[in-house]
Amino acid sequence: MRLEKCWFCSSTIYPGHGIQFVRNDAKIFRFCRSKCHKNFKMKRNPRKVKWTKAYRRLHGKDMTQDSTFEFERRRNRPERYDRNVTEITLKAIKKIDKIRVDREVRHHKMRMKGKKAFEQQAAIKELENSIDLVKAPVALQQESQFTIAKIKVKVSQSQPEGERMEE
Amino acid sequence: MATRIQFENSCEVGVFSKLTNAYCLVAIGGSENFYSMFEAEFADVIPVVKTSIAGTRIIGRLCAGNKNGLLLPHTTTDQELQHLRNSLPDQVVVQRIEERLSALGNCIACNDHVSLTHPDLDRETEELIADVLGVEVFRQTIAGNILVGSYCAISNTGGLVHPHTSIEDLDELSTLLQVPLVAGTVNRGSEVIAAGMTVNDWTAFCGSDTTATELSVIESVFKLREARPSSIVDEMRKSLIDSYV
Repeated sequence: MRLEKCWFCSSTIYPGHGIQFVRNDAKIFRFCRSKCHKNFKMKRNPRKVKWTKAYRRLHGKDMTQDSTFEFERRRNRPERYDRNVTEITLKAIKKIDKIRVDREVRHHKMRMKGKKAFEQQAAIKELENSIDLVKAPVALQQESQFTIAKIKVKVSQSQPEGERMEE
Repeated sequence: MATRIQFENSCEVGVFSKLTNAYCLVAIGGSENFYSMFEAEFADVIPVVKTSIAGTRIIGRLCAGNKNGLLLPHTTTDQELQHLRNSLPDQVVVQRIEERLSALGNCIACNDHVSLTHPDLDRETEELIADVLGVEVFRQTIAGNILVGSYCAISNTGGLVHPHTSIEDLDELSTLLQVPLVAGTVNRGSEVIAAGMTVNDWTAFCGSDTTATELSVIESVFKLREARPSSIVDEMRKSLIDSYV
């Protein structure tokens, strides 16, 4: 039993799932579910379909090159069974998995870095540009008359508190 | 010494077993008779390994090997690969090949020094063969058939090829392989030589349909006959062997 990867979306195919298609040139295509199989039959290129791993790798959304990926190769020249080596390998698999997940999280963080500041700037700009959706331009003009001269004036009771707050 | 055996009532012994100078692979059959024939012959000399390849029993036609290595198709499962690696001696390199033509036993005919391959084999596969098996690789056809692995059986001492091979072809192959070759049949006239028999340097196993004439041809071309009074051998040689290079 071997856990294969779906040709279209690169997710793991567990036993009992999916379809295998063998082309006339003896190339084998494995699909995890009918969604991927149907997309393949429609001749869609997985590198252009947003939710596949191929797209995400190509467009830098997910990690591409990492040393942890080297461990999961398919090996064609086996080594003689050694109990100690097997034990160490099993422990190593867990550790490598954890390291890979940590690195992916870090990659995501790096990608999202500066997003908050960027969003803040974008929000301020939008407020400046489309303030007329919130307040009528006439009211804004009146307000600016009040605020341009920033002189200390004795507070007269007629000025409402709300307008002052919006500056 | 050539012996006649059957695998579950089938005379195609070369399909269900692979025999080399360093190991012997046997298919997992219903009864143990097939396996015990090999065991009786090879008990302590070389390991006799029961296995399947890609879950099938046609192991003789799927794999190719000699005393230096064993080549397996990409359909071989990881568990089978590991089993073979554990059971075979360390000098034998076990390698799985990614190749479009997956029946390697039909595409590659080899002994310990030289091999004939299917003309359409990939270049990487050819390099792998030269590397893993330690042989010189020749792309050839036998009597116009591209499946060289099935239409000839060769060992280090001789070879048996498809009966319709012309004399010129026979000469050419013989100079390439550097062994004496004979065009003959096995299993009462079957042309698929490698499917009907397996051979190594000191033993041969043929299907039970093989006639006595075919058997003596096999014994003489692969030099399996024990020491005998030379006159009798000479006499038989003239009557039985077609051409001897």
